[in-house]
Amino acid sequence: MTAAPSLRAPINRRALGRALSRIADASVADALAVLEGEARNHGEVWRCGITGPAGVGKSSLVGRFVNTRLAHQRRVGVVAIDPSSPYTHGAILGDRIRIDAHGDDAELFVRSLASRRSRDGLADNIANVLALLEAHDFDDVIVETVGAGQSQYEVRELVDTLVVVLMPGAGDMVQAVKAGILETGDIYVINKADRPGAKEMVAEIASVLRHPDGADDWSPPVVLVSALTGDGIAALDDAAEAHRVWRMGQLDGVAARQQRRRAHVRALVTRRLAEVIEATGEALWDADVASAYHAVVAGLQQPA
Amino acid sequence: MTGITKGLLQGKRILIAKPGLDGHDVGAKVIALALRDAGAEVIYTGLRKTPDYIARVAAEENVDAVGLSILSGSHLELVKLTAQALKREHADDVPLFVGGTIPRSDWEGLKASGVDCVFDSEMSLEQVVAEVARRLT
Repeated sequence: MTAAPSLRAPINRRALGRALSRIADASVADALAVLEGEARNHGEVWRCGITGPAGVGKSSLVGRFVNTRLAHQRRVGVVAIDPSSPYTHGAILGDRIRIDAHGDDAELFVRSLASRRSRDGLADNIANVLALLEAHDFDDVIVETVGAGQSQYEVRELVDTLVVVLMPGAGDMVQAVKAGILETGDIYVINKADRPGAKEMVAEIASVLRHPDGADDWSPPVVLVSALTGDGIAALDDAAEAHRVWRMGQLDGVAARQQRRRAHVRALVTRRLAEVIEATGEALWDADVASAYHAVVAGLQQPA
Repeated sequence: MTGITKGLLQGKRILIAKPGLDGHDVGAKVIALALRDAGAEVIYTGLRKTPDYIARVAAEENVDAVGLSILSGSHLELVKLTAQALKREHADDVPLFVGGTIPRSDWEGLKASGVDCVFDSEMSLEQVVAEVARRLT
């Protein structure tokens, strides 16, 4: 049972903000040492990913969606990821302007992260970051990825419910039916409902989605939304709540934990690879590809 | 590209915020981009934020510094309120910078309210970035 918000200890924003920095900044070795990596009780906390191409209105949608979750008396933690410059490592983190415009809800916590070394639309140590939020008594943890088109697979493994946001007029159906986009989502949102072709797009996407194998399988709905006006947000809320309940009923806790651990380990190895390559002297790149490859693999075998 | 030193602020998180009612954020955005080019991760709040909101964001984002851009003339009051709000969030240890149209005669008053550094339009972007870096390292 979720305690009524008024009975819960308030969110300690300063302490949680600091703890998130420690885990987000941790090297692979440190991340392994402090692993708060296991969810406190899988199935109790609902994790929702919001992904889709740049410019489809993900942040505005998250802002609307968060309000519906808060109205369900849930404590909501949001992680919003924006890209880091590969040249300067700098980043403008501007998602939260659209997410917590009023910023006075006691049950909402928003954290912006830069993608840093991560190239999968997520951020360094994201699995640890999500686990840390879960350990801090949130009911819903929502992750907004970097604007991504064809690489939602990593976030898929880290969340219970994946919402894929699309909009009319951004590429033809060939883009949409490419492997990945229409295979990973649990809910599809067509945002910018006022634009020409929006209704047609809903029908087109619905017609090409995978169909359930059995009566118990989930059939991904396609929801027409305007994050600008709020139209369709109630339908999205219904779809999300239906999927959450379905997922909790379906959930094989062991398999889910294994899947998340696999994603977590893969993220750590990818990150460690980046660390090893960064630490490698320029001279290595004078060698032939096979020699450089073996040197990097040898580097990976050293303790993190 | 500007003459901003690459990597000078790498690993730093900085909040650029617009408190109060003035609706001009070109300066705030120019500063945000300069800090980004120096390697910082910059959280930008948008216009017309309350001191309470700014302090909450500073705490949640665990920033290394808060920069306020104020062109309304209400800088003395807004800075005082923001410093008080930061204290309520236990974030009064975060360095506080202010930029905008701020007469020199008010600088001492701002510093008495807890401002670490005041930037005016006489300073180049390179100078601003270098000064921020000097105070954060």
